[in-house]
Amino acid sequence: MSRSIKVALAGNPNVGKTTLLNHAAKTNLKVGNWAGVTVEKKEGFLNYKGHDIHFIDLPGIYTLEPISEDEWIAYNFISEEKPDIVVNVVETTNAERDLLLTTELLECGIPMIIALNMSDEAKRIGIEVDSKQTSALLDVRVVKTNGRNGDGVQELLDTIIECADNPKPPKKITYSVQVESALAAVESLGHDGALDKRTLLARLAEGNGENQEKQKLENFFKKDIKSVIKDERYAFAHGFYNEVFKKKKNTARDITDRIDKIALHPIIGFFIFLFVIFMLFKISFDFSTPFMNWTEGVITNLFAPLVLSLLSNIGAGKWLPEFFSQAIVGGVGFVITFVPLVGMIYFLLAILEMSGYMPRIAFIMDRFMHKLGLHGKGMIPLLLGFGCNVPAVMATRTLENKRDKLLVMAMIPFMSCPARLVVFSFFAVLFFAHPAVVIFGLYFLGIAIGLLTAFILRRTAYRGRLSHFVMELPPYRIPRLRTVLQIVWVQVKSFLYRAGTVIFAASVVIWILLNTPPNLKSQSDSAAAYVGKAITPVLAPIGIKDWRISTSLIPAFLAREIVLSSMGTIYSVNVQKKSTKFHFIPELENQVKQLGEATKSAFESLVTPGLQSMQTEEGDQGLRNVIRSSFTPASALSFMIFLLLYTSCLATVAVMAREGGKKFAYLFLVYSFVIAWGVAFVVYHIGMLI
Amino acid sequence: MVSLREIFSKTDDETIAAKETGSPSDGKKTLKELKVGDTAQIVGFLKQNETVQKIEAMGLRPGKKIRITQKLGRGILVKTNNSRIVITSDVAKNIEVK
Repeated sequence: MSRSIKVALAGNPNVGKTTLLNHAAKTNLKVGNWAGVTVEKKEGFLNYKGHDIHFIDLPGIYTLEPISEDEWIAYNFISEEKPDIVVNVVETTNAERDLLLTTELLECGIPMIIALNMSDEAKRIGIEVDSKQTSALLDVRVVKTNGRNGDGVQELLDTIIECADNPKPPKKITYSVQVESALAAVESLGHDGALDKRTLLARLAEGNGENQEKQKLENFFKKDIKSVIKDERYAFAHGFYNEVFKKKKNTARDITDRIDKIALHPIIGFFIFLFVIFMLFKISFDFSTPFMNWTEGVITNLFAPLVLSLLSNIGAGKWLPEFFSQAIVGGVGFVITFVPLVGMIYFLLAILEMSGYMPRIAFIMDRFMHKLGLHGKGMIPLLLGFGCNVPAVMATRTLENKRDKLLVMAMIPFMSCPARLVVFSFFAVLFFAHPAVVIFGLYFLGIAIGLLTAFILRRTAYRGRLSHFVMELPPYRIPRLRTVLQIVWVQVKSFLYRAGTVIFAASVVIWILLNTPPNLKSQSDSAAAYVGKAITPVLAPIGIKDWRISTSLIPAFLAREIVLSSMGTIYSVNVQKKSTKFHFIPELENQVKQLGEATKSAFESLVTPGLQSMQTEEGDQGLRNVIRSSFTPASALSFMIFLLLYTSCLATVAVMAREGGKKFAYLFLVYSFVIAWGVAFVVYHIGMLI
Repeated sequence: MVSLREIFSKTDDETIAAKETGSPSDGKKTLKELKVGDTAQIVGFLKQNETVQKIEAMGLRPGKKIRITQKLGRGILVKTNNSRIVITSDVAKNIEVK
């Protein structure tokens, strides 16, 4: 086995690096954070023709002169970790811009492969590239690729191996006579052997000690050294572009401009945005509800009876079937029911992102956000927050200004994520006649509290003028179903993983505590009840008086959906068992038929206007009835508000501590508790009066 | 409270700029003054800073032909070659055009 080849993917933002990597490494991505916004380097491993290839997908950058944090990550990797090969992904349609980064990468002297991506799109709009000439001029290998269908990826992998077997640095770029002679002089001063061009240029620009060259050049060109170097790079990139890229007269009309005429229209564009957001929620609720009901049916009517009958056949004792139906089905199974909903939200967010609409939202919303003292770019992390707060917090790295970054970070946890929705949709259906209205209300309450937080921070800790805004809008692209499904799968997998690990562990611990000490007469004498009763005084003022609920809240700090699994475990002890006869084959047939019906009603729901989901109530009536008896509508609402606003998610707090500092994260945690408790208190007491 | 009418109307920057100076930047025409649909050529930058470095790398360089495709609030959508770049008016007023 040969040693692994370290390959860095570098390129401008939105050139399709991640998509190429997905094609190359299939779903074998080690870190599956949000696609599109690559803010952390992602890795992929691949064994290809006996070689181990280790891909590192860097955040998109325009230049090796970093400003924002994601740019620093890419820069540090290239300059310090020195990959074996750099694959420079160039968007062929925008090559003139992309070649600046290419020039800077060439200076580093690392063996390079240029991937001319989106070559089909370039051909369509009349741009032709001479890849042979490119290769000859720069001494690099050139491959034409197409991220959309994976064309050229095979060739790219072959080229990587060929390049690793026979590595050679790219041809040295030659700048103007003046600069070159200055560089030669700088090099002769150094005593540390041959240096790459980039290091030499950096030393030239420092201009300290015996190094007089900086002064000479500045005098000659009559501008500062940074501009001199910059202009040399641009001149090279421009000259090179004219040499190998030929642009024919463009006859194809640009679809993006035509869509933007409407989508970015000052008034129509705003309503389109509202419509898109409405559809995002409508589709995720309405489309997934039939499937959620179906999943619940499969678990309670097929899977659980199957395992229970197997257990009784092998003559298992009393506690094993109890453990199974209470901790596994009641706890973990309960949470798994919500997979269709979670998957659907990620599906739609991925489409929004990959179609190119997401950054346009930042542009459309900046004029409103700006009035509130917020940066338009902050819209993107906030929207991602509806998917999961963790990648949303990481996405704040694209904001250049620290103040804007922390401001948005303090708003994100109030954006309700699917884990919370899972809890809301359960309680809202149980206690309210119009559950959809309640859920929308909670989402808006979250947004309102987020805005209020920003408003307070802008007037206290984060005063000052709003920073400027520079952002590229990518062309519209039709997202590839396969890539979207890959993203959905990564997210669903992590949801299932949590269900199988943390949620499972929490359910088991709670189940054990419920049964300690052994042979209890009443559950309210158990250890679990003892713990719950201890914190009830804090929660009683907001209407949470039942120990079974306060006990469920404790493990929920790991992840919010644990509230349901814990409650499922605690309450399922009280549920009367139905003793119906179970026959596997007919039940299986029944479930398959149900799936067909679920699919039919899911698609039907798409054509009906307005929100209509969560009107049905079926399945585990027993559990619902017991839970219903421990809440009133007012206390259920207060409970949901508390769960919405309190940052009850270990992963979010951890990522906030990493991105914004420990102090920031802990202060925020306290703040979110206070505000959650306060709002819940007010709502509960108003609710009691009605 | 910010009224809806106010949000759809002019931005703070515009009102501030109108108060600050009668004639912007000693007779030089800047990108900020262009209207939707206008085309122009970038001449240079009035001040050098990090933002200039960034927008140059994004393709807004002296000599480039640009077209203003949309303006929303303080945001200006500029098209050059095949890229579309949004900049705010405080960035645009630093870009000299002809």
